[in-house]
Amino acid sequence: MSKTGLIVASIIIILVIAGVAYYYASKGGKATTTTPATSPTQTVTKSPPATTTQAQTMTTSPAKTQQATQTATAGLGGRNEICVVYDIGGRGDLSFNDMAYLGASRAAKDFGLKLKEVQSTSEADYLPNLRTLAKSKKCAIIVAVGFLMTDAVKKVADEYPDQLFAIIDGYIPDKPNVLSVLFKEHEGSAVVGALAGMVAHYYGCKAVGVVLGMEIPVLYKFEAGYYWGIRYGEKLYEQHTGKKVEPLRIFYTYTGAFNDPARGKTATEAQLANGACIVYNVAGATGLGIFEAVEEAAKKQGRDMGPPFAIGVDSDQDWIKPGFILASMMKRVDVGVYKATQRALEYYQGKVTKFGGIMELGLAEGGVGMSRLEDLETFLELGVQAGTIKPEQKKEIYEKVKKMREQIPQWIWDEAYKLQDTLKKNKDLEAYGVKFSDIEKMVPLDTKEIQALRQKFKVG
Amino acid sequence: MRDIVKIYPDGTIALRGVSLDIYPGEVLGLLGENGAGKTTLMKILSGFLRPTRGYIVLRGRRVVFRSAADALSHGIGMVHQHLALVPVFTGFENIVLGLRAKGDLRKLVEELMEETGLRVRLDVPVEQLSFGERQRIEILRMLLRRVDVLILDEPTTNLTPLETRVLFNALRKLRDSGKSIIFITHKLREVMEIADRIVVMRRGKVVGELPREKAEPRLLARLMVGREVFLRIEKPPSTPGKPVLKVIDLWVRSDIGGWAVRGVSFEVRAGEIFGIAGVEGNGQAELVQAITGLRRAEKGKVIFGDKDITNMSPSELYRLGIAHIPEDRQTMGLVLDMSVSENSILGMHRWRKFLGALGSLRWREINRHAERIIKEYDVVAPSIRSPVRYLSGGNQQKLLAGRELSKNPRLIVAAQPTRGLDVAATEYIRKLLVDLRTKGHAVLLVSADTDEVLQLSDRVAVMYNGRFTAITRPEELTEEKLGLLMGGMEAGTLGRD
Amino acid sequence: MGETNEPRRTERLPEWLVEGLLRLGESAIALIVGLAIGAIIMYVTGYDAWLAYKSLFGNSFLDSYGFTITLSYAAPIMLTGITFAVGVRAGLFNIGAEGQLYMGALGAVIVGWLAWRIGILDSVLGVLVAYTFGVLLAITWAYIAAILKVKRGVHEVVSTIMLNWIAFWIVEYFRVYLIYNPSDPSKTISMPPHARLPLLVPDTELSAALIVAIAFTLYTYYLLWYTVTGYELRASGLNPLAARYAGIKPEKAMITSFIVGGIASGLAGAGEVLGRPPHYAITTGLSNLYGLGFDGITVALIGANHPVGIIFSAILVGALKAGSRYMQIAAGVPLEMVRVVEGIIIVALAVPGTLRMVREYLRRRRELAELEKR
Repeated sequence: MSKTGLIVASIIIILVIAGVAYYYASKGGKATTTTPATSPTQTVTKSPPATTTQAQTMTTSPAKTQQATQTATAGLGGRNEICVVYDIGGRGDLSFNDMAYLGASRAAKDFGLKLKEVQSTSEADYLPNLRTLAKSKKCAIIVAVGFLMTDAVKKVADEYPDQLFAIIDGYIPDKPNVLSVLFKEHEGSAVVGALAGMVAHYYGCKAVGVVLGMEIPVLYKFEAGYYWGIRYGEKLYEQHTGKKVEPLRIFYTYTGAFNDPARGKTATEAQLANGACIVYNVAGATGLGIFEAVEEAAKKQGRDMGPPFAIGVDSDQDWIKPGFILASMMKRVDVGVYKATQRALEYYQGKVTKFGGIMELGLAEGGVGMSRLEDLETFLELGVQAGTIKPEQKKEIYEKVKKMREQIPQWIWDEAYKLQDTLKKNKDLEAYGVKFSDIEKMVPLDTKEIQALRQKFKVG
Repeated sequence: MRDIVKIYPDGTIALRGVSLDIYPGEVLGLLGENGAGKTTLMKILSGFLRPTRGYIVLRGRRVVFRSAADALSHGIGMVHQHLALVPVFTGFENIVLGLRAKGDLRKLVEELMEETGLRVRLDVPVEQLSFGERQRIEILRMLLRRVDVLILDEPTTNLTPLETRVLFNALRKLRDSGKSIIFITHKLREVMEIADRIVVMRRGKVVGELPREKAEPRLLARLMVGREVFLRIEKPPSTPGKPVLKVIDLWVRSDIGGWAVRGVSFEVRAGEIFGIAGVEGNGQAELVQAITGLRRAEKGKVIFGDKDITNMSPSELYRLGIAHIPEDRQTMGLVLDMSVSENSILGMHRWRKFLGALGSLRWREINRHAERIIKEYDVVAPSIRSPVRYLSGGNQQKLLAGRELSKNPRLIVAAQPTRGLDVAATEYIRKLLVDLRTKGHAVLLVSADTDEVLQLSDRVAVMYNGRFTAITRPEELTEEKLGLLMGGMEAGTLGRD
Repeated sequence: MGETNEPRRTERLPEWLVEGLLRLGESAIALIVGLAIGAIIMYVTGYDAWLAYKSLFGNSFLDSYGFTITLSYAAPIMLTGITFAVGVRAGLFNIGAEGQLYMGALGAVIVGWLAWRIGILDSVLGVLVAYTFGVLLAITWAYIAAILKVKRGVHEVVSTIMLNWIAFWIVEYFRVYLIYNPSDPSKTISMPPHARLPLLVPDTELSAALIVAIAFTLYTYYLLWYTVTGYELRASGLNPLAARYAGIKPEKAMITSFIVGGIASGLAGAGEVLGRPPHYAITTGLSNLYGLGFDGITVALIGANHPVGIIFSAILVGALKAGSRYMQIAAGVPLEMVRVVEGIIIVALAVPGTLRMVREYLRRRRELAELEKR
């Protein structure tokens, strides 16, 4: 009987050894055949840059696209694919992944590349997905959607120095072949902050708030921008109405979690009880609790829309609880993916000499911004495609959001969008003695700096 | 019912051409020992089984029942020994279960209870009801479906005397209202009390049919037990030695919770076979289990040699020198999906000679052990590695017996050791037991096969309703006397349950 | 019942080989059927089935990197497969591998957290301590279900499902509030660099966790068939009545089975933390662990609840998991369709094993019922 065990054991050991041996054999071969085929070519093209810079109006004329296609794909050495690795949220999340797809498919169309998508079913898939794509040597750029892939990208980028990578929201500053696409959340937060300030006063509220996830420095950007925006919004309100207003109280709560809706709800309920009527969600999935709390509070007062309101984050969340979400601070992942692809192609063409580093996208680049009614349409369409929203709900949601927006005077919206435009060029606007550019200079903020800012803006 | 033959798929012949007439307005007592075929016959009548040959004529028309429900729709219903009720449903829910509501069922049921005197608590979940109440629920269930023929399989087994009286009164009322009742039993007293006509079965055949007026316990007992000896075992004389096993006033509970063994005392001496006869279900199984450590003895003592072994664990008992050939080899004595080797050490698997370092098994030793049993006891097996499932019943039993005897026991407890075996294997096992006894081992034999007990034993006890009704020498037991003892009709036991 | 007087056959193939070949043939047929159905579905929906299968199996078995992915995926599910199989061998339907795996991973991460503070743990010692602590936590988790079963008669399916979720949220709590990574709160702190399992092949995900998995799997084989503990466990699984008759306490065998299962799942969970680059941590929503326990059930069913079968079936299921990316990349089949096709293949593979289990179960019930009747 003990023979059985022996035989089985040896079969398995042989199997493993065979696998390993085979691997080394093929790897040895690979090492000698590696050629610099994929190094950037020196082809210089005279054609103008192939895309618009404004992402919000990201349509290009057919002629331009044609040109772009011809020039963009030149000199790629067989690397003619945009490869996108989604994180485990996967397509259909109406957020990061779907927006990344949007950007990638536009880029593929505009630059004449093939789009290759790989979804990840588990965290354990990131590394193999990236490695497999890198190994195929067909990708002009591999876009890793989401900061969860940061470690995996770092690793694979070292292993395949000839391969270009982009990571959305991940911070990898020091690799020549990795472009970190980051967003200036403080800019977007300032705009929604101003909106919150004005709307709160319009409804005669005494306070506004923000509910955040875990206390990590990244979130300080949101905080700082939001506080500045609220105070600036109050100024705008006074200017427009000519009335002197009592400054709003501002609450902030760190729930300590990004995926704990129950905590989000409790935190929001506390803020609402203290008189807040607008709560900004900076807490990921915890934010779903914010939305719920806001909706319940409004319904208790017999209203089927705000106030109180919530403010969405990351994607256009206005559809989640239509009528109760004032607007969303959108991070345009699609723009990020598109621009990263563009940068890669320019690098191949020799138009830029450096690919890696940080690409920060703010208001000016169309990387962040406050949601508009038009954005909602795009999102609802995505939602229908993904099956999250039923087609018959689409119109209803849209109408409700529209009605909610119309309930607030147009001038408030105008002022907020005007601020969005102004901040693109002029960052010297000031509120409570703090210029917006001062905040930008502080990024990344540390604990002391945010504490100082909280004091200045009379938060808490 | 005409010429009914039933052969089970495993080859067991249960009925060998039985014809039976049932008339309206009578209680028919169906009497017989275990395995006489009573239950099988009634299962065929009530559609649970289909006959291998033969047919049923109902009110002049030949019928074939496809299922129990089919038979029920023809007005034939059976209440089994094991009741099939939904424990969490109330009595009422169980009674009407599966009925399409026509009118006020509740009222109907209450009227029925009034008429028959079979009262139950309708709104209590069945699991909280006594066995008697559950049985009444089953009967009401049948009556509500307007059965004309009501079959009751050993209905009094788990009833108290009072409950039995209530049942009998109800049955009489039903009979008077024109229904036919078939009452399966092995209890002479009951059949004498309730039946209008008595049919006695033995070994798949009807051996007697007589009206109650002509029936008489002695006659019935003789018919039921009817000795037809088909095997003769040479039994050399043996002089019993010292008592090996002493059982003193042992009380054991049944699974249901009542007393299965009510104060049994006896001793088994070295060099004798002590047989326990009786119809199954009278406490023999529980008695054996209590002695062999598989069931708690609530009161009394079991002494082995000089040692009190009451409620010791089986493995300790095996070490002390007790072997147990359990009544069901396939579900208890063997693990069918384990190999011959593995089964050859079941129960002795922790003995030092089979264990290596750190609890590993010494397969070489185990295989040698298995080979030895195979050779010594003439077990036919494809290989010692093949699962015991593929061995014939006889070979399984030989393997089991061989294993038990390899424990080198002073006492062998053998329960139904030849059940289901063919002639050759039966003879082999019986010889083996006699040889052991002649060699000076003590043997406790429990069997529902009266021939077996009477032939092999040096002393016999008859068990009825948890008690020994007699301990005697087999020569002193006439058929008649044995039948009466088994049927609970011997003086001194009457009216005591 | 007639005596079958067949001659004693001595000249024949060893039983285990015959049995093994039969099972292999059975699986092969099931695989072909599954592939065929999958192919039809892909053909109907307009995908190139041949290319898809070629990229699926070609890469996960024949491509060197692909094969390392296959093996690295096989490691944890092999162990969780053992958890289920050892349960079945003792007559249990232990589906608690998932929760026990979480606890195993948690234990390892807690040791990792300590290792950043206690220098001596940032070494092979740390790996050993992490494995030990993970396994201990997993055993604890399994033991709860065992005690509930033995003392209170709580059916193990119910208790283990509930315990799975309790484990999930406990580990989430730890991840979010206690042992999070300060620079990336989406995951727990990672194992420090020296307290990790070495990679068997550099620049892949294949770590020594595979060796641990195979070693433990072979150990369970030894345990089940070459020790008295295994003997008692199998006997009470196959026939609790006979076991009791033989002086074996089936309850004890059940507890043993739960504990062995807990060890296996604990090793799987800790192995995922100690040997899975790049994180060496537990990630948000336990997304690097989620489902590995349930995959084990599939693996065990395909592998006929036999440790040796489980090694092969784990590699096969690992290959399917590894191959899904190739189907997406090379054949352009979207993930949803990949999952449909793989699901069909797995179901087809698991059918014979499941049928056998159901048949056994029914037969045992029938046998017990017959005993009761007498």
